[in-house]
Amino acid sequence: MFNHLKSGLRALLHRNRRNADIEEELQGFREAAVQEKLRRGIPPHEALRQAIAETGPAESVRAQVWNAGWESTAESLFRDLLYSLRRLARTPGLVLVVVLSIGLGIAANATIFSIVSKILLRPAPVGDPHTLTTVYLDDDTGGCCNSLSMPSYQDLRDHARSFSGISAYVDLLPASIGGTGEPERIWGQAATTNFFDVTQLSLPLGRGFSPAEDTSPVIVLGYALWQHRFAADKAILGKTILLSGHPYTVIGVAPRSFRGIDLLLDPQFWVPLGDLPQLATNPPDPSRRDWHYLRSAARLQPGVTQSQASAELHVLATDFARQYPATDKGHGFRLMPGGSIGPRDKRSIELFLASLSVVVLLVLSIACANVANLMLAQGARRQREMAVRVALGATRAQLMRQLLLESLTLALAGGAVGVLLSVAATSALSSFRLPVPIPMDLSVDLDWRTLLYSLALSLVAGFLCGIVPAWSASRPHMPNALKGEDANTRPGRRFKLRDLLVVAQISLSLILLCAASLFLRSLQRAAQIDPGFRSTGILILAIDPQVHGYTPARTARFLATLRDRVLQLPGVLSATTTDGVPLSMGHRSDGFSVPGQPSQQEPPSVELYMASPGYFETLGIPRLSGRDFTPQDTAPTITDPKSKSKAPIAAVVNEEFVRRLFPHQNPIGQRVNGAGTPYDIIGVVKDTKSRTIGENQRPVLYRALAQTIPADPSGDGYQIMIRYEADPTSLTTLVRSTIRDLDPTLAIFNIQTIEQHLKDALFLPRLVGTLFTVFAAIGLALATIGLYGVMSYSVSQRTKEIGIRMALGARIESVQHLLLTEGMRLALASIAIGLPLALAASKLATTMLYGVHPYDAITFTLVPILLTAVSLLACYLPSRRASRIDPMISLRADG
Amino acid sequence: MPEKPTDLVQGTLEMLVLKTLALEPMHGYGIALRLEQVSDGAFRVNPGSLLPALSRMERDGSIQAEWRATENNRRAKYYILTPQGRKALKTETAAWGRQIAAINRILEA
Repeated sequence: MFNHLKSGLRALLHRNRRNADIEEELQGFREAAVQEKLRRGIPPHEALRQAIAETGPAESVRAQVWNAGWESTAESLFRDLLYSLRRLARTPGLVLVVVLSIGLGIAANATIFSIVSKILLRPAPVGDPHTLTTVYLDDDTGGCCNSLSMPSYQDLRDHARSFSGISAYVDLLPASIGGTGEPERIWGQAATTNFFDVTQLSLPLGRGFSPAEDTSPVIVLGYALWQHRFAADKAILGKTILLSGHPYTVIGVAPRSFRGIDLLLDPQFWVPLGDLPQLATNPPDPSRRDWHYLRSAARLQPGVTQSQASAELHVLATDFARQYPATDKGHGFRLMPGGSIGPRDKRSIELFLASLSVVVLLVLSIACANVANLMLAQGARRQREMAVRVALGATRAQLMRQLLLESLTLALAGGAVGVLLSVAATSALSSFRLPVPIPMDLSVDLDWRTLLYSLALSLVAGFLCGIVPAWSASRPHMPNALKGEDANTRPGRRFKLRDLLVVAQISLSLILLCAASLFLRSLQRAAQIDPGFRSTGILILAIDPQVHGYTPARTARFLATLRDRVLQLPGVLSATTTDGVPLSMGHRSDGFSVPGQPSQQEPPSVELYMASPGYFETLGIPRLSGRDFTPQDTAPTITDPKSKSKAPIAAVVNEEFVRRLFPHQNPIGQRVNGAGTPYDIIGVVKDTKSRTIGENQRPVLYRALAQTIPADPSGDGYQIMIRYEADPTSLTTLVRSTIRDLDPTLAIFNIQTIEQHLKDALFLPRLVGTLFTVFAAIGLALATIGLYGVMSYSVSQRTKEIGIRMALGARIESVQHLLLTEGMRLALASIAIGLPLALAASKLATTMLYGVHPYDAITFTLVPILLTAVSLLACYLPSRRASRIDPMISLRADG
Repeated sequence: MPEKPTDLVQGTLEMLVLKTLALEPMHGYGIALRLEQVSDGAFRVNPGSLLPALSRMERDGSIQAEWRATENNRRAKYYILTPQGRKALKTETAAWGRQIAAINRILEA
């Protein structure tokens, strides 16, 4: 293979020498033949004649020898390519439009595909990703994908034979990292000691956990953390760092590509699972079968397939259910490839990505139709060239090869432009953030899959754009063509291919425009939805004193002191502390019931927020009845330490809570029960959105922070929310130094204003709206160019006809009218075709729309009007040119 | 011309060339001549098919080419069998034998 390439290249580089060699060899052959014949006694003259007849003409032997290798095909292709480039260089305008069209189409596809690649195609960044699996728990309600409890993990580890190893880990463990430099909030994972063996990761530095280290203070650092916090110090191994106030010895650094097994999460350190009790705020009880907190990574035994392993897990689940009916009844195990998107969200994410992919393919189709149209027009201008080449003996295949080569060249250039544009697009996409307090890896980039896909797509696009024009241009109607008349229109053809392409383009872009308009209106609606709380002028900072060794009681005191200090700062109107910012996509919730009332079939799930005095004032939530929290709600409420019943906690509820639990009653002073904790209702406030902006109203209960923390502390920190009237930047500095004065070791994180948080909360509508607007703008621009191109081509073809009409007395207006009607007929036909399709498409998008009806009247009125107006413009410009035709000149022109 | 030379069965030319070169290195005409003589004039190979075949085989690595002086002191391109070519000859001969045997069985059936 390599030999062929080498000698072929050598032949091409030294073609003269090769020809001379062939010549000489043939000459030698001939002479030897003559000698032989002379030896046999044939007279010299006759011998020479025979030898020449036998060897054949030198020219054809040479051609045959060249044809034996690949290089002659390559050479003629190369010659065609050069010719194509020379031709294209003569029409720079056309090249620009075509390359940009395809470039935009490819950019859209590459960008979406980079998301597909990241979420669906890329294997987990572990050794041998194809045999790594994850075991999930299915519970009896049919719910899927729960984590495992410690005992069921141990049972699986000890009994499942399909796996060579199973590791379990806590997927997100908050911590603080201290020592030199600013204290910092980080998230990591606590894993069984076999974690790095099961995942088969080779660490660039140091080692993973040894089996004896289950409770040892050892840590493996994430690559990014090692880079930015420790300046990629190679001597870090064996050094001690402070993790949440505890000394930890660094034993390794994870590979750069490894961000945990779970897609989208971004953990930055790994510690042994046995360290959990000292690092977690609410350490789970490892002896309970009903405490599900462990994710799993299971390595398949060599030769065992996933379905064999699933079958074994099924048998084990049945066994466990029999052994532990109280906890495991109805449970099953579900096996998924490691690092794949969880089965719960898989379908909706796949659907979302599939629909986006369809949309970008539509954009590319519009671009291709556009390019095909331009090439058709271009082909029409080259009829004479084609006719002459056919007349000179070029075959159809040769002409088509030449023309296809041109469109492939253009498409590849377009693909290159597309990939460049997509680099910018993906980096813009990476700036979208989810409104959640945990570290997420949402970055997208162009990987080799995306590049390969873009290349393949460019080739397909080039072929599709090229094949029709090449077909028609390589088949000129000879008599017409040589006379210089239109050779591509045959008598009796009703539809012109170009018209069809334009209709397709405009219809498709109508669909895109309608979708974009719907999503933009949805974004606008979503942004207008009143979350029920103040949406400006609030600064939020988070701290997590418990990962710095604070007891819950000390945490509560610290938060109270901090709030008092912050209230003294200039520009602060009010401040409050809480355990979660609303609209963070999810928060703590418990099932609630009213003692004495018949418990409801399904106890309503109530959102729980801790709140301190000033909460409703800061967030601007109006109080409807009862009282606000006061500093007195901090009083220790433990009435009798021996009794098992917990002391009630003061609580404020929202209207929805009252509607669900106390319809037509006064809730003030009532007691309710949530997950075993009693709450006394002291007030009612107006409804607010809790998880997402588009949700149906949920019941919310605000519980007194100082009373709640001792018994039920937050697992991921606390926020101080400050309503301010000055500049948030300088206020941030002031608050930071206030916290540092109180305790310099505390890490401060997730600093943001409420405006930023709300912007992130509109993540999905903003993302979809932005994408569709860009796609629709590209589609509209392309379709407009397409219509304009067809109309101006039509004008240029009909110069003579128009000249005759005008010579016969047609007025300028009527000529212009004729052309406008023709173009607008195309535009209106496309709208008539596109509108029902757009209506059907928008029906499919219903689930992604906030507060906008899929048959939104404004959208479906405005978009056709806009499209008509743009089409009118695209037709008007060429028609004006037609009206300037001078009949005297056009009638004399020969074509 | 005594009788019309037979066309070579497709793909056999290379095997015959390998066999010819297994004796000693030869130039193009030498190969053609030997094929003609050994086959009693049944196979006549012209340079239009021989030279491309030689070029192909040279690229495949089964033969090597070298410019040498001939007996009457002219320059000629001599072809030499490589170890790889020797192996190819062995497998092709074996395959050919099997084919011939099979064809014979069919014809005699």
